[in-house]
Amino acid sequence: MSRFESLFAGLTFRTSTPAFEVGDEVPAFVTGRGDDGLLVRVGDTVLELPDADPSLLDAKVQIEIESFDARTHRGTARVVDVLEEAE
Amino acid sequence: MSDTSDESTTLRFYGGRAASAIPIGFFIVWAIVQSGLLGIGDTSGLIVGILLGLIVGMFFVRGAWKVYADVLFDGMTQRVAATAIVAWLWAGMFAETIQAGGFVDGLVWAADVAQVGAGLFPAVTFVLAALLATGIGTGYGTAIAFTALVFPAGVAIGAAPVLLFGAILSGAVFGDNLAPVSDTTIVSAVTQNADIGGVVASRFKYAIVAAVFAFAAYLFAGQTMQGTPVDVGSAGGAGTALGLVHLLSIGVVIVTAVRGRHIVEAISWGIILSVVLNLVLGLAEASAIVAFEAPRTSGIVQALDAVPVIGALVVPVDPGNAAVSGSLYTGAVGFFPLIVLVLLIVAAAQVMQRGGGFEAIQEFLLERVATTVRRAETTMVVGTALVNAMITINTAAEIAIAPYIRTLGRRFNINGYRRANILDANTSALGYIFPWGGGLLAGFSAMQRLPEQYEWFTQAMVVNPASVFPFVFHGWFLVAVFLLAAWTGYGREYVSDRASEEVSRV
Repeated sequence: MSRFESLFAGLTFRTSTPAFEVGDEVPAFVTGRGDDGLLVRVGDTVLELPDADPSLLDAKVQIEIESFDARTHRGTARVVDVLEEAE
Repeated sequence: MSDTSDESTTLRFYGGRAASAIPIGFFIVWAIVQSGLLGIGDTSGLIVGILLGLIVGMFFVRGAWKVYADVLFDGMTQRVAATAIVAWLWAGMFAETIQAGGFVDGLVWAADVAQVGAGLFPAVTFVLAALLATGIGTGYGTAIAFTALVFPAGVAIGAAPVLLFGAILSGAVFGDNLAPVSDTTIVSAVTQNADIGGVVASRFKYAIVAAVFAFAAYLFAGQTMQGTPVDVGSAGGAGTALGLVHLLSIGVVIVTAVRGRHIVEAISWGIILSVVLNLVLGLAEASAIVAFEAPRTSGIVQALDAVPVIGALVVPVDPGNAAVSGSLYTGAVGFFPLIVLVLLIVAAAQVMQRGGGFEAIQEFLLERVATTVRRAETTMVVGTALVNAMITINTAAEIAIAPYIRTLGRRFNINGYRRANILDANTSALGYIFPWGGGLLAGFSAMQRLPEQYEWFTQAMVVNPASVFPFVFHGWFLVAVFLLAAWTGYGREYVSDRASEEVSRV
């Protein structure tokens, strides 16, 4: 991204519940634990990581979206890569 | 964060972690009573407040008081305090030397020729202060230079002093927020793992919105609030235009700083050029820059006074009046009370950090308040404001709150650029709004010397620190922009939206 383009990056009113498409690969921090494993919270959208290693809590990971319900803003994803270990 | 697990260095208080806030809490109450209720704008008085606060806090310590004393020393030797002190001393010497060279008289002349009246003066001052602060990267330095130089010129032509001081502080806020070389900008980027260039670029969309509103507000308020023009004698006459040559001195500082040189080097070059211009153009005598006012009865003094060059710096005076004087002296000495105050405040902040006070605030905010992304971002704005109210050196406040902003932001996958912007904008703004804030007191310290320097400048023209906070328009608009942005999502980016480039550590 050029410096000029970066002046206008994010110049929108971004929703508090971002939506994802099945198959999207995005970076994100693993933000918490739920009943069925680790969670990634992006804004007020919640993605479950049912098969993820519990030690990845607070790590930055690359995830692939496996399912997403735009009505409830919830979905599931799997960890593709670990980008940064937890601090 | 410091390690508090070691029993020998753990700081625990009767009354729990909240009691670690007693020294700072005592100081804030003292400052509000002294400046706000009683209207006493005396920095040295605030020193007594923080000293008593530190003594009171000691009685709440569980275990050895030596640990408490050691924590005070740890706090006072932090680099952030030294950075602020250096900025004040150098900017003080620079501003005073330019002033000795008649820069203020030249500004009055320029305002007259350009027909910038009292109504327009605050708005123009805001823009110029913002440009200087963005160029040199130090809001403190800008607050000092503009209060010493532009403030008296504006008061002379009839601008309302409190509005003009607010405009200067607003310009300092703008520069602290946006300048790539500003300490607060660098800290905000590095602590949130974002590159400095990207952070600066991403913050235009907030800063410009606030600045447009602030400029309009100064235009409007400038028309409705005006003082009385003062007859300042020769100032503003055609012969005083030469003082404007010191625009070159200021230009040297800006260019050197923008080229990436340290602020100490940049301002030092400005001081050197201003001294040369003063002497070569006859704007000020050498003794106005630095003078040894020594007893005339001394044989050595009489001998030195007769020596060429050196003699220009020796001024024989009556015994008992001996002193060092001149712009370099008064420019630096004026900040001594503020320097002592700052060292004690960062010590008190360290007590709160090591005593778990900040940790307690974070836990409360994380668990009880920040339950949605909107509330989390609002909490980040308010939390930054709160810490800036307690630690009045904005870079130190920013360093203290940065880990919490990172934790809170990551909890919702808020992008590093957005986190850095929330952190820096509110730190920059609040550091110049609270009446006991370092930036505000730096400007006030420079202002207190004006009655000695200008016969026409009366004590009534000195602005009480407690009365200026409503007029720091850019600061208020910046906070408002971020509160609205938290609620509406303006400018919000998630970690998944954009990756930060490699972090550039300066």
